[in-house]
Amino acid sequence: RYVRQLQRLQLLFSPTAADARGARQFVEEAAQDFARQHPDVVLYVSPHSGPGPAPVLRAEYLNGTVRDELIASKTSEEILQLATKLASQSGLDIIRIRKPFHTDNPSVQGQWHPLTNKPSSLTVQGPRLQPQ
Amino acid sequence: MVVLSAARWVRSRLTDRFWRVQEVLKYARHFRGRKNRCYKLAVRSVRRAFVKSTKARREKKRFLRALWITRIEAASLEHGLKYPAFISNLAKSQVELNRKVLADLAIYEPKTFKSLAALAQRRRQEGFLAALGDGKEPEGIFSRIVHHH
Repeated sequence: RYVRQLQRLQLLFSPTAADARGARQFVEEAAQDFARQHPDVVLYVSPHSGPGPAPVLRAEYLNGTVRDELIASKTSEEILQLATKLASQSGLDIIRIRKPFHTDNPSVQGQWHPLTNKPSSLTVQGPRLQPQ
Repeated sequence: MVVLSAARWVRSRLTDRFWRVQEVLKYARHFRGRKNRCYKLAVRSVRRAFVKSTKARREKKRFLRALWITRIEAASLEHGLKYPAFISNLAKSQVELNRKVLADLAIYEPKTFKSLAALAQRRRQEGFLAALGDGKEPEGIFSRIVHHH
């Protein structure tokens, strides 16, 4: 069963700043539909009055990563696209994956070491014969 | 979009020079010497580093293949076979394993590799018999070819 990795989305913006216009429009129009379409994501809308930091969309994931996306001077549609993109991501960091595969047990028959293909007389000491 | 009147536009200052410089320096942090600190030197070094990494992607394929071949050669010599004999006889026995998988088998599954070497050796002997024996002996078992149609 699919578990959405996005825990909560926090919309931090100022109700008076000019660049938060898209954020305000998003809250008025599309935020409720978005919340209904994604019932397992909690959407927090926190306007802070007065001049503050730039409007930001903060996404918190189940593995603890917090991702901030600037929404200053973005239209409501762009913010909706951003929110859906964040909702479909997992919280793993976005870096280059070195290998697309990983095993905890790479060797079934025992990894090669310099003595694998040598006769066992090199390592095994037989029973020491008593002097007759 | 911020619209300024013409007079103000002339007086606007560049305010995010720091971040533009950091965008380049973040790729130079692990370099040696002044190139990891000074922007002017770092720009040149970072550009060359990117160009080299783009070109090296083609070389990486060649390099890894040579590494696999070296490893397979070492492993097959442990079992008494040379690399050309091993690879050609495996191909004649219709074992379509590539060098990457053979190298991984040689490291992590030594017994499987030993059985592959034995298969190649047997196919080699049958090839010699077919070439030198001339006629009366039955055909080798491992020399049979399966047709997948």
